[in-house]
Amino acid sequence: MKQIIVDGLKYRYPGAETLALHDVSFEISKGELIGVIGRNLSGKSTLCQSFVGLVPHFYRGAYGGKVIIDGIEVKKSTIREMSRIVGMVFQNPFTQISGSKETVYEEVAFGLENIGVRRSEMIERVEQALEMMDMERYKDRSPFDLSGGQMQRLAIASMIAMKPQVIVLDEPTSQLDPQGAEDVFQAVERLSHEGWTVIVVEHKLEKIAQYADKVLLLDGGRRVDFEIPSKVFSRGDLEKHGVTAPVYTRVCRALDCRMKDSDVYPVTLDAACEVLKKCP
Amino acid sequence: MNSISLYTERDSIIHHIHPTNKVIYIFASILVPILLPSFAVLLGGALFGLILLLIGKVFKRALPMIGFVFLILLTVIIIQGLFHPTNSVLVFTIGPAAFYQEGLLYGLTITLRVMNIVGAFLILVLTTKPSDLVDSLVRRGLSPRFGYVLNSVFQILPQMMVSMKTIMDAQRSRGLETEGGLRVRIKAFLPLIGPVVLNALTHVKERAMALEVRGFHAEGKKTFLYEEKSYIATKPIQWGIWAVIGLAVIGRLMG
Repeated sequence: MKQIIVDGLKYRYPGAETLALHDVSFEISKGELIGVIGRNLSGKSTLCQSFVGLVPHFYRGAYGGKVIIDGIEVKKSTIREMSRIVGMVFQNPFTQISGSKETVYEEVAFGLENIGVRRSEMIERVEQALEMMDMERYKDRSPFDLSGGQMQRLAIASMIAMKPQVIVLDEPTSQLDPQGAEDVFQAVERLSHEGWTVIVVEHKLEKIAQYADKVLLLDGGRRVDFEIPSKVFSRGDLEKHGVTAPVYTRVCRALDCRMKDSDVYPVTLDAACEVLKKCP
Repeated sequence: MNSISLYTERDSIIHHIHPTNKVIYIFASILVPILLPSFAVLLGGALFGLILLLIGKVFKRALPMIGFVFLILLTVIIIQGLFHPTNSVLVFTIGPAAFYQEGLLYGLTITLRVMNIVGAFLILVLTTKPSDLVDSLVRRGLSPRFGYVLNSVFQILPQMMVSMKTIMDAQRSRGLETEGGLRVRIKAFLPLIGPVVLNALTHVKERAMALEVRGFHAEGKKTFLYEEKSYIATKPIQWGIWAVIGLAVIGRLMG
């Protein structure tokens, strides 16, 4: 059974003339790690916000189609209810800090206090989340004293403490240095291994190629492709959609070295090395 | 981390008094001198405030603030001593300036009244963590949303100042003069307003969304990570302050 069903989703922001999302449909199974890619203004962030109900409940605007998560239709639900099922991490790590807590530990507990989780359970969940994000050593620090990568991991920890079924990350590494980005992706991979369904919007395509089970390619608010990374990144018209394939894929394409018994190119370093060794 | 809080961590009895009792004490320090405007009550109240600051081990920290307020109030004493309409008994003269008893006493009364309130406020802000104060108020029925606003002011404002400095540096690197006379500074201020306000507004929108998905508007009873701190003699202190206010009311009615 599919956990997320997006069926003919259309959305236009208030006052906008064009649709931000145009008839987008796809389905996601529980535990999948989905990468969402596309040029700027292709509808990636809008799609993310439609999972947690910010679209249409926060922004309003014209909405059509359906987004169903765990059997609940987002349009008919509220952000409050959806935030129990879907956790969302935004682009800017700074604005995700609540700003009202003095320590990392208290910050992770903020959402749990809001939804009225019992104290004993709260402590258990906070400690679990900090451990999972490898943040225990920072638990007594002020959230504002963390680096960008640590702040983003704190935001993820704050989300997973709320035990959502689905985690959506909207360009979580866009403001981070390479090490910070790597830390965040390793954390995302851990979440995926723990069985969470993760949807991550990202421009660092090497990371998406390495970690995602499937890639959703959007352009102009429309779904262009929804397939395994090697199929999406092997598309001949990828650049036409404002996306440049990972460097390993481009090298293999230039040398016309494809994966064994397949017409796709490798998308990760390991796969590329393997293919290039055997390439005539 | 930068903080705009004046809280000073010390191990003192005053630090272990319930924050709401300190708020009630401020209320008393305003109300009692109004009800009983005698010089003895005012002086007693001001001295009591100073003693509490000493017990709270924050007197040294409070001194510059008290000094600053006193300096301003000194002008009130001087002006009243010189020009109060009921001035008649000459106390002393400095050159051509003659100081009168009535005006000096009136100025001193105002000074003591203000010092009473300042002392009470200093006891609250120097010996109470802002988050403890807000936490105790939220537990007593203050809206958690209002509590959030109060708490976040102490944390986010210093961060906004940091971002303002970044914007100022960026403008300076483009040749904007930000240092010099008042005119230069005013001229430099205008190009800063736009980016600072826009930046703040963007952050507000993003933070509102981030709070929303963290159950900020969740219905039902809010819970707390920490159990409420235990404070000393909360009820006796509270009833003690209310008793002083009550006695002042009775004193006023009878006198």
